Amino acid sequence: MDVPAKNKQQWADIVTGKKTYDLKFLAAKILLGRLVRTISANPTPTNVREGVDQLHALYEKNSSAPSVQLDLKNIFG
Amino acid sequence: MDQDILTSTEVAQYITEGKTLLLAGEEKLLAGLPRGRWIGGTIPYFITPKEGGMATREKIFVTDISPMAASVQIKSYTQDDLGTVYGEEQADCSFIIIPAMTGVHSAFALNAPNYKDFGARPLVGWISGVHLEDLGKATPKVFNGETGEMIDQAAIVMHVALPPGKTLDVGIVNIFEQREGDTLTFPEDGFSCREVAVNGVKESFVDYIERQKLDTKLPLVADYYGALINTSFQSADQATGEVKFYAPVFTGVRYKHAKEVADYASAFTAQLQKIGLAEGSVVFSCNCILNYLYSGLEGRNTAPFVGPITFGEIAYQLLNQTLVYLQVHDI
Repeated sequence: MDVPAKNKQQWADIVTGKKTYDLKFLAAKILLGRLVRTISANPTPTNVREGVDQLHALYEKNSSAPSVQLDLKNIFG
Repeated sequence: MDQDILTSTEVAQYITEGKTLLLAGEEKLLAGLPRGRWIGGTIPYFITPKEGGMATREKIFVTDISPMAASVQIKSYTQDDLGTVYGEEQADCSFIIIPAMTGVHSAFALNAPNYKDFGARPLVGWISGVHLEDLGKATPKVFNGETGEMIDQAAIVMHVALPPGKTLDVGIVNIFEQREGDTLTFPEDGFSCREVAVNGVKESFVDYIERQKLDTKLPLVADYYGALINTSFQSADQATGEVKFYAPVFTGVRYKHAKEVADYASAFTAQLQKIGLAEGSVVFSCNCILNYLYSGLEGRNTAPFVGPITFGEIAYQLLNQTLVYLQVHDI
């Protein structure tokens, strides 16, 4: 599965903490441990956009990893 | 042979054959090896395939990554340029060894989660150490096998490009879970502190540890979006009021003390069953000296995981009291 575009609502929902998923990709969990805390405390459009950029880039650069593929199916169906 | 404990002569033979190796052992053994495609770090504790946990100054633990290494680049990083470690565009993953109790160890521990391109590719490895009898007498080292350099103030990294059709995943096995009860936060990032906020109320952390009779063999555990990340206690000094850790605590992160673990082996097995590893997929693993000591791993088996025992584990960032592993999969 290709990594869905950054404008998909699910990315913003994850980094703002509006939706929580049971993720498998360890790097994403470590990154989100920090992003969700900082962005949910100050969810300006810029902060959300920058958070989505970081998370999307992380998934794109690791897109062949089995854990990434499981997460994408879990998040985007 | 993918991971095993061997004599210096056997390791030298592998190096001469051109194999790509990650090595762990005593300084004098690593310093005597021929140049080749390897990196290494000092430590005399291991989990071995046949004998389980053991300490030896006479053998070297070898992780042979030749089948997954189409090409490699070996590079050392000081604390000033370690922030670029994720930026090696030609690599599919990187193995890192950092000498314990150095500036580069502290810099990585504090800053890795904020490095540019964090997680762009798997970064795994360990903090090198010394025999516990040699603490204060010897210093941890890392080695660049290509140049023969022995290094004590920089990290050594092997950037690896995979053969076509292969991909990787990094995993951890952490037997510790957060207990119910107080939430602990800290006013500053760092390897030590005096003050803690307990459910938002500030007090002396040493006094809190004393009053609650916290077992400091059990780590603090933070929940990073479902990944449980430990920070282990080094000491809690009533006289100075200072509490020291083996990894930093971070401001804004909510910690809880770990639940008691009755038996490492059964907790470990329960975690393994949750993970459901594909057979033969693990190419590298390492475990923590504190698990080795506190859980009595000497002579015990942690199959399918073997590897060096470390002064800290690295899976993208510094971890404590955690087993780290890397799997290779076919695409």
